[in-house]
Amino acid sequence: MSDQPIIKIRDLSKTYKGNDEPAIKSISLDIFCNEIFGLLGPNGAGKTTAISILCGLFPPTQGKVTIDGWDIHSDLDKIKHIIGVVPQDLALYPTLSALENLTFFGNMYGLRGTLLRDRIHDCLKVFGLEKVAKNQITTYSGGMKRRVNLIAGLLHKPKVLFLDEPTVGIDVQSRIVILDYLNEINKLGTTIIYTSHYMEEAENLCSRVAIVDRGNIISLGNPKDLLGDHTEFKNLENIFLHLTGKDLRD
Amino acid sequence: MFKFFAGFRKELLLLLRDKAGLIILFIMPMVLIIIMSLLQEVGYSSITRESRMKVLFLDNDKDSLGLRIGKGLRNSNFFEVIDSLNGNRVTEKSIREAVKQGDYLIGIVIPKGITKSIRANVSLMVAQTLSGFGMFNPLLINNIPMKNADTVTVFFDPTIKKSFQTAILSNIKEFNYKIETEMVFQTFNQEMSRIFPNYLPPEHNFKESVYFKEVFPTFKKTEEIPNTAQHNVPSWAVFAMFFIIIPFTNSMMTERQEGSLFRIQSLPVSFMKLLFSKVSVYLVVCILQTILMILTGIYLLPLFNAVPLVLGNHLFALSVVTIVISLAALGYGLLVGTIATTNQQAAAFGAVSIIIMAALGGLFVPMYLMSDKMQLVAGFSPLNWALTGYYTIFIRSGGLMEILPQIFKLSLFFIVSVVITFAFRTIKNPLNK
Repeated sequence: MSDQPIIKIRDLSKTYKGNDEPAIKSISLDIFCNEIFGLLGPNGAGKTTAISILCGLFPPTQGKVTIDGWDIHSDLDKIKHIIGVVPQDLALYPTLSALENLTFFGNMYGLRGTLLRDRIHDCLKVFGLEKVAKNQITTYSGGMKRRVNLIAGLLHKPKVLFLDEPTVGIDVQSRIVILDYLNEINKLGTTIIYTSHYMEEAENLCSRVAIVDRGNIISLGNPKDLLGDHTEFKNLENIFLHLTGKDLRD
Repeated sequence: MFKFFAGFRKELLLLLRDKAGLIILFIMPMVLIIIMSLLQEVGYSSITRESRMKVLFLDNDKDSLGLRIGKGLRNSNFFEVIDSLNGNRVTEKSIREAVKQGDYLIGIVIPKGITKSIRANVSLMVAQTLSGFGMFNPLLINNIPMKNADTVTVFFDPTIKKSFQTAILSNIKEFNYKIETEMVFQTFNQEMSRIFPNYLPPEHNFKESVYFKEVFPTFKKTEEIPNTAQHNVPSWAVFAMFFIIIPFTNSMMTERQEGSLFRIQSLPVSFMKLLFSKVSVYLVVCILQTILMILTGIYLLPLFNAVPLVLGNHLFALSVVTIVISLAALGYGLLVGTIATTNQQAAAFGAVSIIIMAALGGLFVPMYLMSDKMQLVAGFSPLNWALTGYYTIFIRSGGLMEILPQIFKLSLFFIVSVVITFAFRTIKNPLNK
């Protein structure tokens, strides 16, 4: 992890139309180059809203965000070339094959020809999907779909990769393959911003985590440091429950 | 352009994988054209003199008026005169019963002695007129009463339109006036010959001095009568082209609801560019749909004993107007798909609005049957512009110059729809245009 912030978030707020309560309340944060940053929080904490703003899907109500020096308001086109997005929902075309889906998304990043074919082939091989590459996504299991969903976001080797709960609802084997691959590309220089409900997963994967609740960052730091600060708790999940409470969330 | 074509390829693949969608897009409009053409065949054929309506006819007169009406009905191309039912000569009672049962739409009964009565009244009128010249004794003649008018009874099925009833009655009255006029003319001549032995009556009988010629003006030098297919194929083609907004908006909404939109908006490509790649695929679909419907009109309709579509000579104008209509339909689809928030909303609003615009535009009911106010409203329906464009080519043999107003209006509709879509998206999401 470098000392150089690749993402600068200043005083970021978002209030959805028709809602009195802001989804994000004046967040300021730096995410450093080559970091795996975990955004943890209960349902409705504001994690997906934060990721959506960082990916330029919609504007914040107030605040400033820069990614690799580019402002999301004025330089979004440039930012889109260096980021990869893996949404929480399976953002794939079910009636197209994995190959057709990945070709389309690769083309959108300007990849074509042999370069694209090789990248798709390599990724499918890593994720054990090469034999079913020509099958329609509808025929895939949940884990296979998640793996294709992930590949679609990193084909163009983005500088910054946003992952919104990439391992939700999949088996242990698929989860291990995905997390190993994320570690691998991180070592090659990709900064990863990641949201999850799996505390153990975040504890092992992330260099830093922010625990978010009701639109605020309530704790920020290295998982080990957080555990050091809260010696009464033996793992991140207990700290998380202590900080966010046990009340059910919508 | 590379990304545009990548989007085009993706949309095409999605469409080709949707077998049910393809059936709706291509087979349903063909079926619609065949069914509607066959349903309307009788109605239009009567206009174009290709089939006859059966009329029950009882002539108790057996004289000039009865014979003239019977002959007039038989000689017209509209009617087939029936004077016996189940091997028995028709009676007033059997005619009333047959029309009441709905077996026949019209029955005409000419009463006995009606010509005799007309003749008697005409002779009296002539004598009264000539008495003014001292040829008859006015005191005697003017005291003779006129015979009461006889009644020709016409039975109508209650479903027959008022305008058609009026036309039938007018025809019968016309026969009566002609006979009366001829009788007046003949009686005058007879009386004049009797009083003035040297008077030579004109050699010719009464002759009509005004004739009526039916003309269907077109932009071509030769005039042709439009047939069922020329009415049906354009109207249902327009309807199907605009109905494409259902699968089109469905494709937009599915992308939004399945989460693909999240990723698409994060891609380094203009969202409008991807939307236009979608529009382009559906534009091809619209054009293929129209070609298929035209081929249905030319080759399939005759297999069902319906008249075939005559394509005419303005293929370039036909191509241009088809592309512009398709763009107008897709522009509207783009707008509906952008503003709607759910698939159900887009499908319901899209379908209902197209049906309303089709009804207003004269696709279901011809414009000439609408009130003046409704005709004014019809002029605002894009489906009416589209239909007028096609009618100008198919029915009036017009070319590109003649359909320029429709091309302009439809193009403007497309541009306005796209501008509103873009503005709406910009307001809703200023980062992703």
